[in-house]
Amino acid sequence: MQTGAIPGARFVDPSVLARIGKLDLLARTVVDGFINGLHRAPFFGASIDFAEHRGYVPGDDIRRVDWKVFGRTDRFYIKQYEADTNTNFSVLLDVSKSMSFGTGALTKLEYGSYLAACMGYMAQSQRDRVGIITFDSQIVDHVPPSAKHFNVMLHTLDKARPGRPGDFCPPVSKAAEFFKRRGFVAIISDLYDDPGKILDAVKPLHHLGNDLLVFHVLDKAELEFTYTDASRFRDLETDEELPIVPESLTPEYKKLMAAHIEALRSKFSEGRIDYTVVDTSQPLDQALFRYLATREKMSRVR
Amino acid sequence: MSFLTPAFFVGLLAIGIPILVHLTQKEKKTIIDFPSLMFLRKIPYTSVRRRSIRDIWLLLLRIAAVLLMVLAFSRPWFSTSSLAAKLPGSTREVVVLLDRSASMGYGDRWAKARTEAKKVIDGLGGQDKATLVLFGSSAEENVRGTQDKVRLSQAVDAAKVGAQATRFGPALRLAQSILAQSAMPRREVVLVSDFQKIGWEKQEDIHLPEGATLRPISVATGETADAAVTALTFVRNQFSGQDRVTATAGIVNRSAKPIVDLPVTLEIDGHVVDTKKVSAAAGATVSVSFVEFTVAEANVRGKVTAGTSTSDTWGADNAFFFVLSPGRPVSVLIVQPDQADRDASLYLATALGIGEAPKFEVETIAASKLSGAQVEKRAVVILNDVATLPPGSADVLKRFVERGGGLLVGAATNAKWSETEQAALMPGVLGGPVDRPSGRVGALGYLDYSHPVFELFRTPRAGSFSGVHFFRYRTLDPKTHRVLARFDDGAAAMVERKIGGGRVLAWSTSLDSSWNDLAVKPAFLPFMRQVATFLSAFQNSDAWQVAGRALDLTSRVQASAAVTADTAAAAKAAGQAAAPMRQKIDGTVLTPSGERASLTDNGRPAFVELGEQGFYTVRLAGEKDAAKPLTVAVNIDPSETDLAPMDPVEFVAKVTGRADAANESKDKPPSDVTPAEAERRQGVWWYLLLLGAGVLVLEAWLANRLSKGPGVIRAT
Repeated sequence: MQTGAIPGARFVDPSVLARIGKLDLLARTVVDGFINGLHRAPFFGASIDFAEHRGYVPGDDIRRVDWKVFGRTDRFYIKQYEADTNTNFSVLLDVSKSMSFGTGALTKLEYGSYLAACMGYMAQSQRDRVGIITFDSQIVDHVPPSAKHFNVMLHTLDKARPGRPGDFCPPVSKAAEFFKRRGFVAIISDLYDDPGKILDAVKPLHHLGNDLLVFHVLDKAELEFTYTDASRFRDLETDEELPIVPESLTPEYKKLMAAHIEALRSKFSEGRIDYTVVDTSQPLDQALFRYLATREKMSRVR
Repeated sequence: MSFLTPAFFVGLLAIGIPILVHLTQKEKKTIIDFPSLMFLRKIPYTSVRRRSIRDIWLLLLRIAAVLLMVLAFSRPWFSTSSLAAKLPGSTREVVVLLDRSASMGYGDRWAKARTEAKKVIDGLGGQDKATLVLFGSSAEENVRGTQDKVRLSQAVDAAKVGAQATRFGPALRLAQSILAQSAMPRREVVLVSDFQKIGWEKQEDIHLPEGATLRPISVATGETADAAVTALTFVRNQFSGQDRVTATAGIVNRSAKPIVDLPVTLEIDGHVVDTKKVSAAAGATVSVSFVEFTVAEANVRGKVTAGTSTSDTWGADNAFFFVLSPGRPVSVLIVQPDQADRDASLYLATALGIGEAPKFEVETIAASKLSGAQVEKRAVVILNDVATLPPGSADVLKRFVERGGGLLVGAATNAKWSETEQAALMPGVLGGPVDRPSGRVGALGYLDYSHPVFELFRTPRAGSFSGVHFFRYRTLDPKTHRVLARFDDGAAAMVERKIGGGRVLAWSTSLDSSWNDLAVKPAFLPFMRQVATFLSAFQNSDAWQVAGRALDLTSRVQASAAVTADTAAAAKAAGQAAAPMRQKIDGTVLTPSGERASLTDNGRPAFVELGEQGFYTVRLAGEKDAAKPLTVAVNIDPSETDLAPMDPVEFVAKVTGRADAANESKDKPPSDVTPAEAERRQGVWWYLLLLGAGVLVLEAWLANRLSKGPGVIRAT
């Protein structure tokens, strides 16, 4: 099934992923196909390249002086190169009850797990250290980042079950205590909370120097509210019930949802945090693209 | 269209059920799990609960199904003029009664009536048969039971407004007989009229056949404005041997506005004699008297005109025609036996000499003096117990009777007629006297009240013969002649014989008080006057007749024929050459519109229908006074000028005799409709039911399809 313009995207279609039982196989299948499909992309060239010249300051290694430039200009310039570095890659995965919702082939938690697995596989392939924290209203599992923790991470994802109602802010704030070193943090959640509070919870992670990537995972039914029959709706987390006539309230719901997303986008943009809305009915490529773009940015140190 | 069980319309309330269902959007029993109601909770309650109709096509189908079911169960009933006409086996026998009475000439009523009649004709189906009946005070079949619409339309076009009064009875009776003979499944009477109140009498005995319906179509206008001459009276005075007449006319203002200075003119023989101006309040009647005029000769034509022919909407009733003649007494000759006392005919002559209208001029002679000259100008001859007739008198009297004269034969002690004489004149064979046993006098046991002689005594207290005692009478074998009265023992008392244009009455007892005491009883005077009036064929020379009546000219035509025959015989006897053979015509009638009709003595009654307003002129071949022929003035029935209409629905109720039958022809199924006809007229409910079932199947399919549509959510 061809789902996008990018070759290999068929490997990340949710309906295909749902049939793959093992997470490692899934991640490998997805990422290999995905990466192979991107080989011709100009974005990925040599890993260490010349970046720019800068003026010599005392203390610089004289081996990095560009003598050819000195010969032409009688001034000392230092050559700077971009080089790859290893980093920590952590995933904060929301496993609250609301993540158990899904009207397509996958629930939001399954989709989030696949996304986390794929990103972990790619990180592990780049010799990054991978770790994971699952949370609902508290932290459920914590796997610290390590070069050897990819399999533990997959195991943690595999055993993750939505059990309790979620509360985004406390566990995320608490998770900040586990990050001693700068790294790359991906947050996967449905973000049912006040945008301001969410930003407040996420900011400590950002202040620690982590690069944050927030994946707002939503089902198609949440985005478009495709219901037609009047029914009682039950909140998955609070068990509260409400009689709903979808026909009359769909437009207003969509308006509120759009406003919520826009508020989150605005807040995260202000906090210089990357924010992506992920529709579980769409292939994983959009999310993986976002990850790779951010990771590429991070890898270029001088 | 109507409904047999309209109570089922309550079921229309069921339409509310699908509307409510589609409006309320009943919640599904399954509960849908949703990640968070955070946003749904924020939406205002009113917005959440706001209701709108969804699945409009499904709703329409459900409403249509309910409607069709309710319609089917309410059993639609189609009247004769609607859909029922299009159903199979719906051939109709239609009788179109088109009112052409004088009042239809008011305004544009006649044009409207013809248009409506044509509409009915145009609405006939291919197999329908229609009869066109034109009616006023009488009814006639103009076109009988035909499917030819063109012919019917042409007959409607050719019809004209008459001068007759409106009478619904004859027309409805004719329609009744036509429909009774029809074998068509549906029978209908369509009555196009202005529905004047005066046209319907309370005791009309109309029974339309089973299943027949009556559809009224009214062309009456609301307010009517009209002035009419409705009455004319005359006061006669004798002046210098001539009649001086003062005419007084009655003018009715039928409009809602007063009449001011309306000119009313009296014309005699075409010359204006006097003109008066009258004023009348709305709805009032006024009278106006004109100056005296002299009636010097017979059949003087007169006319009273109110306003002009164009002064109001209906000009026909503005003119009133009349004919006057100088008053002339009826001449009666009493013939008594030669040896009789002078007072033998005292009672008789005295009774006839009293009274007016008619006035009798009585002369009494002895039997020996009876001759042709004596009889010549008499209207009635009474043979009061004449023993034998002088030679030749029998023939004279026979010719006299044949020419229209009347003969009364009183037979008592003296009458001894020969068989020849009896055969020539007597109604029956006269026998000997019969004495009633002492102590038990005779009486009249039977009177033929249908005969003009005794018609006057039909009603109670109008003169009774019960107290009259008969002591002796002659037997009278009536043979084949009509017996008008019998004694209590069955013997004939009075027998009538018709000879030519006249009649002979035989009274088998005395005309004085010798054999009975009738002469001293109160009934004697009216009885004798009735006998003389009947024998003289006296017709009160009414100054006018009402349109629609028939003028009986039988006696006059027969008398005229007899005179003509005598003249021809005399000419033949004198050896003159016979006139060339031509069709034998004894008289002609000239109608007001100028049409001529022939009168012939063919042994049948000669009647002239007075259907037009104006003067009818009758010329008879044997009449000597040809300069002033018999003239009859004909006027519109004064009651016809009352244009007040009645409610057609009420009229239908009156005709059918049922209070609930007013809307029968169009709304309610009549109870006398045949079961097969009733079933056929309401058969459409089956189709409605089937259609409703079809709609329900469609609804089920659509509902099923919609329920499988988007919106099914998998909740994990």
